[in-house]
Amino acid sequence: MKARLRIFHRLILRALFREPLRTALTVFAVALGVAVVLAIELAGVAAAGSFRSSLETLAGDADLEITAIGGVPEELLGTLARLPYPLEFSPRLEGVARVEPEGASVTAVGLDLIAQRALGDAQHPSPEEIADSRAVWIGADIEPRKGGVLSLSVNDRRFEFIVRGSLPGAARERVVVMDIASAQDAFARAGRLDRIEARHPPSRPLEHWRQLILDALPPGVAVEPAGARTDENRKMLAAFRWNLRVLSYISLIVCGFLIYNTISVSVVRRRPEIGIARALGATRWDILAAFLAEAACFGAAGGLAGLALGRLLAEGAVGMQAATVDSLYVSSAPAAIELSAGAVALALLTGVAVSLLSALAPAFEASRVAPVEALTSGQREFQARVRVRRDLLAGLLLAVLAAAASQAPPIGRKPVFGYVAALLLIAASAMATPAVVTVLSRAWRKGIRLILGVEAMLAARGLAASLRRTSVLVGALSTAVAMMVAVGIMVGSFRQTVVLWLDQQLRADLYLRPAAGGAGRQAVIHPGLADALEALPGVAAVERFRSYDISYGGLPALLASGPTEIVRRFGKTRFLPGQDRHAILDQLPLGDYVIVSEPFANKHRVRPDDMIALPLDGEPREFKALGVYYDYSNERGYIVMDRGVMLKYLPDAAATSLSVYFDSGADPAVVRRAVERTSADYAVSIQSNRALRAEAMRIFDRTFAITYALEAVAVFVAVMGIAGALLALIIDRRQEMGVLRFLGAATGQIRRLVLFEAALLGLAANLIGLAQGALLSLILIFVINKQSFGWTIQFHWPVALLAGGLSLIYAATLAAALYPARVAVRLNPIEAVREQ
Amino acid sequence: MPLLTLDHVSKTYRTNGAAVTALRDVSLAVEAGRFVALAGRSGCGKTTLLNLAGAMDFPSSGEVLIDGVTTTGLGDAALTRLRRAHVGFIFQLFHLLPTLSVVENVELPLLLAGRSGARGAALESLRWVELEDLAGRMPHQLSGGQMQRVAIARALVHSPKLLLADEPIGNLDTATGSTVVALLRRIARERGAAVLMATHSMESAAACDAIVRLRDGRIEEIEPR
Ligand SMILES: Nc1ncnc2c1ncn2[C@@H]1O[C@H](COP(=O)(O)OP(=O)(O)OP(=O)(O)O)[C@@H](O)[C@H]1O
Ligand SMILES: [Mg+2]
Repeated sequence: MKARLRIFHRLILRALFREPLRTALTVFAVALGVAVVLAIELAGVAAAGSFRSSLETLAGDADLEITAIGGVPEELLGTLARLPYPLEFSPRLEGVARVEPEGASVTAVGLDLIAQRALGDAQHPSPEEIADSRAVWIGADIEPRKGGVLSLSVNDRRFEFIVRGSLPGAARERVVVMDIASAQDAFARAGRLDRIEARHPPSRPLEHWRQLILDALPPGVAVEPAGARTDENRKMLAAFRWNLRVLSYISLIVCGFLIYNTISVSVVRRRPEIGIARALGATRWDILAAFLAEAACFGAAGGLAGLALGRLLAEGAVGMQAATVDSLYVSSAPAAIELSAGAVALALLTGVAVSLLSALAPAFEASRVAPVEALTSGQREFQARVRVRRDLLAGLLLAVLAAAASQAPPIGRKPVFGYVAALLLIAASAMATPAVVTVLSRAWRKGIRLILGVEAMLAARGLAASLRRTSVLVGALSTAVAMMVAVGIMVGSFRQTVVLWLDQQLRADLYLRPAAGGAGRQAVIHPGLADALEALPGVAAVERFRSYDISYGGLPALLASGPTEIVRRFGKTRFLPGQDRHAILDQLPLGDYVIVSEPFANKHRVRPDDMIALPLDGEPREFKALGVYYDYSNERGYIVMDRGVMLKYLPDAAATSLSVYFDSGADPAVVRRAVERTSADYAVSIQSNRALRAEAMRIFDRTFAITYALEAVAVFVAVMGIAGALLALIIDRRQEMGVLRFLGAATGQIRRLVLFEAALLGLAANLIGLAQGALLSLILIFVINKQSFGWTIQFHWPVALLAGGLSLIYAATLAAALYPARVAVRLNPIEAVREQ
Repeated sequence: MPLLTLDHVSKTYRTNGAAVTALRDVSLAVEAGRFVALAGRSGCGKTTLLNLAGAMDFPSSGEVLIDGVTTTGLGDAALTRLRRAHVGFIFQLFHLLPTLSVVENVELPLLLAGRSGARGAALESLRWVELEDLAGRMPHQLSGGQMQRVAIARALVHSPKLLLADEPIGNLDTATGSTVVALLRRIARERGAAVLMATHSMESAAACDAIVRLRDGRIEEIEPR
């Protein structure tokens, strides 16, 4: 043990401290890689953990939830209360209101305040207070204080409430609690409840009570364990989180390349020392252990630094992720970031594991150095060159495997084989890199001097001579480039697809929606408004769209209706290839038929003519799916029926959004003013076609902002690795640089030599990365995205984005070479040449 | 006018506070066409003198003049220009670039100086050291003597007036060493260059026109032959 420590000290530690900058660069690269993984993990937990907000548990923890599409009839509460079981039931109604005069929106929750202890024991209201239909209790964020008057507007009506107290445990929520009857009145939903929550005694298991309640209720009412919705939302979000997580691992892969390079460099440099240590009695295992320990040091140091950095990055990441979750899935307030023991272990483990894995090959090589061996680097590089062919073959084999894996179906909605294919592709291109570098350096062997001068030639020869090191560096950078290219193509294609789709989808002139409420909150527009708008001169049609949040097949989904007649006249809904739009739309209003969106069809494996079971109007009913249409607005997926059909089962005329079409001859400005005047009394926001499109694209771009951030980190890690590797390269080749100065090289030429090395590395990496990235993007678009989100993306080259990204990486690579170039320029040639 | 003049040159190195004086008050003049040996014990200052003579370093005091131009006060660019025009270096360890072929090594000084006709001049230079047949080989395919002759061809390729050789035969056997010395002598005779050779070997020094003996950084004696 003592001997091993001595070897470690002699061979490794001393060398590390001799080059503190390079050591620091490597540690920092590992730290960044670890930090990104950690940040995504922490932010993901915080963003997803917030679904079950304190708002939901306002009334204490319920065991079961009773829900129905379109709301639970109030009479059922009576039915349940009469059951001869020791169960507690509490009704609940939620809606969104606007605080006047500021216009901020709040969630209003109606509870049975007499029966429930929602407000905590301390301020349990007196019966008089509850009987007062104007009493409310509010979250801490809302003005006014106790005793003040709170004005809320719901649709075209305004209500004044008296604040009776504040809410315990809901400090961060913008929430107003009132008695259920007041809520039903304010939201014009007399006789309806959102859900009934049930609590049961622990004497029997939950399933027993669930069955008893189900038996007592009419069909079409669902009884589920509390939190089932939350779980569904989590499941929904899982794909999104998985993809982010996998993207964050790319930085780690880049790190792996760099550790491999660092350890290789230290093995090659210390070959004579290793030989001596072996001659002095060190065993192979001692040497192996010493170099693995070096890697473990990098991993542990990087892991620790990554912990702090990751915690910091998570702050930024959680904002980005929460915004996405909010606009794409359900509204949620991000929870606080918690650095759990698990997260700490994750950071340290990934750091050390990645380092050890990548150091395995060079450390093993070090252990095979014979005693008193000091092979020249010429021979060593010769061995590496011989393996180029073999590696290329292995790379091709891996590529074939990748192609095969990309054809496999998902496992439990996760595109596991897609990820495998992506990994195989990265490995394949790493194996093929030496061959590509060889071919490239042959190609520019002749011409490069004539075009770029002698410095470029020297740089090219230097790179070709240390083929292995060059290949690893190119591999690191090209992986980062490939990721940028792949994600760039994917996002660019997606964006283009959405732009084209919006063009077809958004045909109306104005769009109206409830002023309050984000995604997931089912605020509605008073039906009177739609009727009034229809009567305006210049308005050709008003499309009333209604959607309900439902649960289908254990996942959240949307059930919606629209007027088929108007859709057929104005809309351009596109169906999947082979489906006849006219025939489908002709048949849709005629009976129990639906059409479904592509994500829904993919998630639930629905094809035309399949039957979809929906419990409506107290009956389980079957609807025939006529077609599958393209939709990019919601990942949960839509089931859409004709408005007339839906009204038959869910007689609620209010719409969740209105699309207003103008007469072709009318003056749009005039009609718009008329619409605005008519809507003034209703709490709706009006957007023009153009504004809605712009907003859609803004949400889109915000959603993908985090992927760009991840890419930037991967590129940053790679570029830093290049800087460190160039430093090593210069230290190893300082004698050559000194000789060049003796032979008449100016300092500027030495600087150019180093910059050219970086430029050539960058060029090779960009070329390989572009090819690799284009292939990866195919996997992303047609396998991973399709399998996790279920939508078809049309492939598209985002030329400007790629050109910009690649130039930026190229510039960064060159910038990374500036410091090493300075070191090279400052070398004292006399000392460099004198060294043996 | 002598091609190389050292006028009361001293050189002091400072490392971690301690000062080492490698040369003290050295004055020396070398005419074109002369072959001069620098002899003396290890550490007496031979390499230091050659580096000063080759405009790789500045004296701490005194002046070095190459072809009438003093190096003191010149910037990096001017020094480089001076080297490119006038100086050729030969090293004990040859220092051929392993990634370049023989002819590429030889043309390197011309390429670095941005001169045209490099390939022709390199082949000509190789012919002069009788190695034109090996032009396409890589350095690791040569013997030590061949490597040093390639290095000499490289030092000659830009027809410098001053050739500085630092123990050029230190790594060669005696027979090969004498060929190399004979070659250097021919350079002085036929090309009219001033050749300054540091050496440990009395035998090779004997082939020179003069021997400068250094001891602890001072010129002990200049022995004409
Ligand atoms: N860069 C330097 N820093 C400090 N001292 C130096 C430096 N270069 C040379 N010296 C010292 O200057 C003295 C002369 O060194 P120099 O290399 O010129 O000797 P030399 O005659 O060439 O020896 P050798 O025959 O071993 O090559 C020595 O004492 C050496 O230690
Ligand atoms: Mg010397």
